[in-house]
Amino acid sequence: MKLEGSHELGAPRERVYQCLVSPEVLQRCIPGCEKLERTAENTFAATIRTGVGSIKGVFNGTARLEDLREPEHLRIVVDGKGAPGFLKGAGDLDLAATENGTKVNYTADVQVGGTIASVGQRMIQGTAKMMATQFFTSLAAEAKTAVGEPPPQHGFFRTALRWFSGWLQRTIRRLQK
Amino acid sequence: MIPAQFDYKAPATLDEAVALLNSDLDGAKILAGGHSLIPAMKLRLAQPQLLVDIARIKSLAYIREEGDQILIGATTTHYQLESSDLLKQICPLLPECAKSIGDVQVRNKGTIGGSIAHSDPAGDWPAAALALDAGLVLVGPNGERVVKAENFFVDLLTTDLQPGEILREIRISKPSGKFGHAYQKVPHPASGFAVVGIAVNLKLNDDGSCKSAGIGVTGVGVKAYRAQGVEAALAGTNLDDNAIDAAVAHVCDGIDPNSDLYASSDYRCHLAQVHTRRAIQAAKARVR
Repeated sequence: MKLEGSHELGAPRERVYQCLVSPEVLQRCIPGCEKLERTAENTFAATIRTGVGSIKGVFNGTARLEDLREPEHLRIVVDGKGAPGFLKGAGDLDLAATENGTKVNYTADVQVGGTIASVGQRMIQGTAKMMATQFFTSLAAEAKTAVGEPPPQHGFFRTALRWFSGWLQRTIRRLQK
Repeated sequence: MIPAQFDYKAPATLDEAVALLNSDLDGAKILAGGHSLIPAMKLRLAQPQLLVDIARIKSLAYIREEGDQILIGATTTHYQLESSDLLKQICPLLPECAKSIGDVQVRNKGTIGGSIAHSDPAGDWPAAALALDAGLVLVGPNGERVVKAENFFVDLLTTDLQPGEILREIRISKPSGKFGHAYQKVPHPASGFAVVGIAVNLKLNDDGSCKSAGIGVTGVGVKAYRAQGVEAALAGTNLDDNAIDAAVAHVCDGIDPNSDLYASSDYRCHLAQVHTRRAIQAAKARVR
């Protein structure tokens, strides 16, 4: 399965890049990430408890950072499995400086197998999109803090962002009418 | 194919069900018809610790007319909605939508509340609820609140239902004046789920022009949505072929259509346009 998308983050490119290679920040931003440990140079072991709706699972896996070209590019190679299925793939992230901050473009090629692929095939792409959005929303909040500052409360940020985008949509709709 | 171990409680009242659900917010799950939850449990994709069965609460299954509202209890089955003479008279979109769901076994057991609360991206009821601008009554430990269908569906399998809340009732304003309903669906040949499903609720002025349109779309995005571009383009027109053609072009506006082994996103969007056109034409032909 191919995944691609882009997200705008209101923080400088160097800072976004630092966040993307920091295990502490990543652990806070990956939805449901319970553990993320460095096992070797640029290699991490992760435990992620995640899901949508009533479908939940625990996944264990490794992630390796490759092709590091600060601050414009990195490649993440992941390999994980859990009770509902397994996942293998690689993704490229390109960071471009923009007027308001940073634009992150990503393309990934991921193979998903096991139960989740045979019965949940029609929902895999939607799940991936939803998680990418959650990840980048948290990452945007992280990247806005300076190094050493306390991390943002994602619970609050997510709620506030969701509320704000809902309000914006309703306002726009009202104006259209 | 054998689920993990779980506890099962069948409360006699809705209050008891709310209390049970709130006794274990992480592990408890509401069971209604079970046509999405049980398969997920059998595959161990879902492993709730406790099932709170609300399908046995008799007072939760009803179809009632009250003032200018139609009230539908959450555990009313698809078959009860399909076969309701009252609904065939006053709100034919609901029986038509019910008829298209799954097979006889599914319709006998599955419930409208379960389908809406689960928010399957290809579920049929969310589209009908959106087209009819339904209000959803949610009950939790702190009482009740009513959420518009439009604000209820948040994301893939994700709704505005908070942990500890149960969907109790679906409220629909009784269609009045000149109106026409239609539900058009392309079912997946294996699962019966909507590859695309379009619910149309047309309201006409006395001169036959379109007063307003409610268009609910399922199967196309990560959640069911109102095709506001189509609704806006139809309003005020005389619903001739040109007006309908111009309107249906907007059905995928702002949506990144799903892509899977059965239908690519381009094909899915094309199907949505074709079937939105057919649904609008069918609704127009049924105006009374």
